[in-house]
Amino acid sequence: MRAAGAPEHAPMHERILPAASRLVPAPRRLEWRLEWQAEFWQLRHPGHGLGRNHGGRRESLSLSYGLMADALWLRVDWLRMTARRSAFCGLAGLAAYCALCAMTELVIVGSWHGFAGMVAAHFMGGYVFVAVPGVIAALATYPLRPLRCEEMPEARLSSIRTRWNLFLGAKVTLTLALAFLFAMVVCQPVRAVMGGRADWIELLLWAVLVTASLRWALLNQEQRCQKCLRMLSQPTRVGMPSRNFLDWSGMELACADGHGLLHVAEMQGSWCWYDTWTISDPEWSGLFTA
Amino acid sequence: MSSGRLSHSVAILLKALSLGYQFGFEIMEVSGLPSGTVYPALRRLERDGLVTSHWEAEEEAVAEQRPARRYYVLTRAGREAESTATKRYPLLSRLIPVKLEKTV
Repeated sequence: MRAAGAPEHAPMHERILPAASRLVPAPRRLEWRLEWQAEFWQLRHPGHGLGRNHGGRRESLSLSYGLMADALWLRVDWLRMTARRSAFCGLAGLAAYCALCAMTELVIVGSWHGFAGMVAAHFMGGYVFVAVPGVIAALATYPLRPLRCEEMPEARLSSIRTRWNLFLGAKVTLTLALAFLFAMVVCQPVRAVMGGRADWIELLLWAVLVTASLRWALLNQEQRCQKCLRMLSQPTRVGMPSRNFLDWSGMELACADGHGLLHVAEMQGSWCWYDTWTISDPEWSGLFTA
Repeated sequence: MSSGRLSHSVAILLKALSLGYQFGFEIMEVSGLPSGTVYPALRRLERDGLVTSHWEAEEEAVAEQRPARRYYVLTRAGREAESTATKRYPLLSRLIPVKLEKTV
């Protein structure tokens, strides 16, 4: 038996239940309401094995707060889970590190004018000569897996491709900016000791950081879902390497939202140059979001 | 959630669950904790795998003429956390009485 909706003369906690339930993420909303309705039934029937009478105004206020806190917790947890491993979260993290390095440099230099002058001089005077060849070399030697969405209409594929490329561009830009600012901050104490010779150390550090950061940005792109750009998870080994001539073997990674699977071959063959992306049927999404 | 980071209220909750109290209102009654603490803590414990929940059988609820309840039960990890919490807060055993009969 399920409790019916709250009547006009119902206590406050029962009246705010519909409003509070809107805070709860949709997939859990119905169950959440049923659970609270069952709890309210217990309140209305204090003789059923539980001691105190909970009909007071104070109790009602406390319960109203409780159900709002519960609904809010579920919403915040859902937001946290949604943001986790997402493209936005990745970019926000990189931007935060960039801001942290820039602030540190600003504090060391002591003025906005000095900071702007130093950034411009270092960027145009050295970094650009390391970063530009670095980007060209990385893109030439690390071919990205092409987007494989054959079953999609052209308009949809175009939209996905645009988002994919925009995200890659933003990530590479922020990664390179972070490498630049981090090297400047690290070399600042060295410059105080060694003077102009510290520029050579900075140049070397840039070369290392640009190579590592570009490598990371491209690898990170390969480990994301093509549709939602969230990091793939649940790595699973599939097949046996000893049967490579007969069947595929390697690692499978899944999108947490059920958009697809990435097959990473253990040994690349003439028939599988790239990792393969398989789009999951939309009907499968229920399995992942449950 | 590691057992080393268990708050006092979570320890009370685990203890209540280990003694057979199974649903939110019953836990609130026996622990004296407000609903604003009990329900979010139950959600967190469930997310962290210390507690699992299930709906009461519909027939059982219908037989007792009330809506079906959602019951919470400790998992194996939850029982281990409860035992650690009991060692850390020895007074817990005196704070919450053992459940004598099934709540109707």
